[in-house]
Amino acid sequence: MELFWYAVLGAFFATYLVLGGYDYGVGLLLTRADGATGRRRALNALGPFFLGNEVWLVATAGILFGAFPMLEGELLSGFYPAVATALAGVMTVTASVQLRSRAAGERGRYRWDRLITVGSVLAAFGWGAVLAGLLQGVPMDADGHVAGVTHLLTPFVAATGLTLVTLVAVHGATFLALRLPGSAAEAAGRTARRLVPVAVTTVAAATVVGLLAEPVRANAHQPAAAVLLPVLLVTALLVARAALARRRPGVAFAATATALALPVLLIATTIWPYALISTVDPAASLTVADAAASPPTLRLLGWLAAPLLPALLGFQLMSWWMFRGRIDGRAPVYW
Amino acid sequence: MDPLLLARLQFATTTSIHFLFVLVTLGLVTLLLYLQTAWTITRKPVYERLTRFWGTLYVINYVLGIASGILMEFQFGLNWSGLSRHVGNVFGAPLAMETLVAFFLESTFLGMWIFGWHRLHRGVHLALLWGVALTAYASAFWVMVANSWLQNPVGYEVRNGIAHLTDFSALLTNPTLGMALGHVLAAALLTGGMLMAGISSWHLIRRTPDFELFRKSLRIGLVTATVGVIFVQGFGFAQFGVVGPVQPTKYGSEAAKDAAIADWTARFGPGDYTPPVLANVGLGFMILIGLGLGLLVFLVPLLYRDWLIRLRFPLYLLLLAVPLPFVASILGWLTREVGRQPWMAYGLLPVERAVSGVDGGVMLVSFLGFSLLLGALTVANWTLIARHAARGAHDPALGRPPGAEPAGPDGDPFRDPTDHPDNSRFAPVPA
Ligand code: HDD
Ligand code: HEM
Ligand code: HEM
Repeated sequence: MELFWYAVLGAFFATYLVLGGYDYGVGLLLTRADGATGRRRALNALGPFFLGNEVWLVATAGILFGAFPMLEGELLSGFYPAVATALAGVMTVTASVQLRSRAAGERGRYRWDRLITVGSVLAAFGWGAVLAGLLQGVPMDADGHVAGVTHLLTPFVAATGLTLVTLVAVHGATFLALRLPGSAAEAAGRTARRLVPVAVTTVAAATVVGLLAEPVRANAHQPAAAVLLPVLLVTALLVARAALARRRPGVAFAATATALALPVLLIATTIWPYALISTVDPAASLTVADAAASPPTLRLLGWLAAPLLPALLGFQLMSWWMFRGRIDGRAPVYW
Repeated sequence: MDPLLLARLQFATTTSIHFLFVLVTLGLVTLLLYLQTAWTITRKPVYERLTRFWGTLYVINYVLGIASGILMEFQFGLNWSGLSRHVGNVFGAPLAMETLVAFFLESTFLGMWIFGWHRLHRGVHLALLWGVALTAYASAFWVMVANSWLQNPVGYEVRNGIAHLTDFSALLTNPTLGMALGHVLAAALLTGGMLMAGISSWHLIRRTPDFELFRKSLRIGLVTATVGVIFVQGFGFAQFGVVGPVQPTKYGSEAAKDAAIADWTARFGPGDYTPPVLANVGLGFMILIGLGLGLLVFLVPLLYRDWLIRLRFPLYLLLLAVPLPFVASILGWLTREVGRQPWMAYGLLPVERAVSGVDGGVMLVSFLGFSLLLGALTVANWTLIARHAARGAHDPALGRPPGAEPAGPDGDPFRDPTDHPDNSRFAPVPA
């Protein structure tokens, strides 16, 4: 039962990184968009999906609280600065995307668009830092007390945060190559192709820095996963580049989506059977089984919530289907 | 600084802001259901215009509901890690249900509703709004289940210092739930109605050319607010009856209070178990506002032959009364939440055991940073709502037909009329 909910938790967070990832990628690329028109077009390419994307994060937090209460508090408060950075970014992006076109005048909209970009960087970097933190472990004692915040100031955390930023940039550009009409799509595809080497470099750098870091090596309980998955990640990026070169944005998008989902799998399997590792007191580390809610709670969620999961997915699929294809003059413009 | 104090201040600030937006969301979505359903059935254009105008304000307001809600959700883990550690097995379940049952679908539906105008079948489009409204009510329900459990923990047993769920149905029949939920939903209806009546009054005071439209929304708003205030009073007074017995230190008699404190002293050691007086001050003012707004009942007869509009001064009253329900709601929550101090979960988990073990400095930066961010976004959001409300209903952004964008010079639907290709940043518009 724990394993089922752990998989659901991972799936929700990974889906959030995939879907929210292209929101943030598009947000980053606003700085390179073709004037105010280009920015607006990019945001309306997110259009109907935007609200349904970030809600995967909200649901992740709900599942974390409901099914893994022991983990929820320790994880979030243990990585306080990283989580707070990500949250500030998420809130800024959410508000700015939705409000920017309600502002009158170009200057106001331009300012909101700048905020979208800043928020996107913070969100991607913050979640990357949280993922890195999970590999590094927290200096947490058995009462849940965490000493200071300096454990997050390591090269590995910085490298992983940066990696997430470059990954969402590639992913966002690929999304635009898929959604925008005509020549705008071509330009987005070119941007995406140029960004792939940058992303590959950051992935490689993060992997090397991680392998050199003593705590990360110590926490890698499943070294095979730690080696195999980064290789897969790089492969996915290269596939995306090749597909873009052949004008197959759909395939490229599937590949970059895989690249954003992989980090979650990578971290979760590498530290398995642990969910959160303490660097100061081995007894304070939480395995997945320790972290889970007690059986009556999991049973309740199994009866009430699990049957709903297909319906949730179904409605999202419906939304993707209804608004599929490239945006054109027939779609309402709202953001 | 003391992390406990900061965590409490931060919770109070964020939640109060969240609730101001949520009240409007819940109130307006109910009114929109009426408007869009009426439009779908009667096909009268005035209902379409009303739906689009009030829908625009609703959607703008919604933005901060989400932004502050996300912060709320994570705040439990950031600042109150002891909450999930000690009582998460019980308290987490309703919150998980809230996110999966309510928010997930609510946001998905809302995205489709906003972008579905002129694209989806009318019936489907209306069904989406019903979906948004039902899930909004569901989220209010589940979060109140969670809150009521903190007010009066039920359906659990403690083993090794950790609460385990024994009876989920007890959470749903919690005596602190029913009347509070009714009171909150009635307050939302009252707030939505007042907002609608107030904004309509403003346009009527300025003798808007859109007389028919704002006359209609004035009437709908006033009637809704009046129904709302009656239920607010009913559920409000009823709360004393149910909350009193389970929270003796809040509304109990001296004897009950002393008995509870003696019991806690025996179990948790000596301490100060009386809530701060702040709680009761808020209560008095809320009731005053509630009784004052009860006078709305006397305005309803003036709807006859539009006396309300012709006399004009009732319009000023309605406009001035708009802030009152917001103030009352914050005071009500202060009463409810401060009144349960010093407990996180009443009689079970003291607040100091629930607060996270992080440094005061971290908490301070977080409190200041997030309050500043949320405060700035709130001000920006209300400014935009006010501007769009004042602009009137001739061309609301929501539901604008795709071709009819205030299109760019070359008819590009994504180009703003103010967007100049050669000057694509923002240079002032040449005359
Ligand atoms: C529009 C806003 C509004 C108005 C006009 C009133 N209230 Fe209220 N009140 C709320 C909005 C609210 C609230 C924000 O919705 C609260 C906070 C928690 C809750 O359940 O509802 C609340 C709480 C609350 C509580 C606290 C329950 C507890 O401690 O657990 C009581 C006893 C009352 N109300 C009673 C009243 C009475 C007797 C009113 C006037 C006749 C009144 N309220 C008007
Ligand atoms: C949206 C309306 C709400 C408002 C305005 C509100 C207000 C407040 C205030 C003023 C405090 C500080 C009390 C003090 O420290 O003296 C507080 C604390 C708290 N509230 Fe609420 N509350 C709301 C809803 C909720 C709900 C729905 C829950 C639970 C699901 C909740 C859970 C908490 C928690 C965990 C704390 C911190 C611990 C404490 O100080 O007791 N609140 N809230
Ligand atoms: C203190 C506990 C609370 C938490 C953790 C919380 C959490 C959230 C979150 C995460 C969202 C955004 C959902 C989205 O992305 O769509 C949200 C929105 C919402 N909340 Fe809360 N909330 C709390 C208190 C309340 C209360 C007291 C009510 C009402 C009684 C309420 C009603 C709503 C509604 C109706 C929405 C959707 C509309 C909107 O976004 O404006 N919440 N909340």
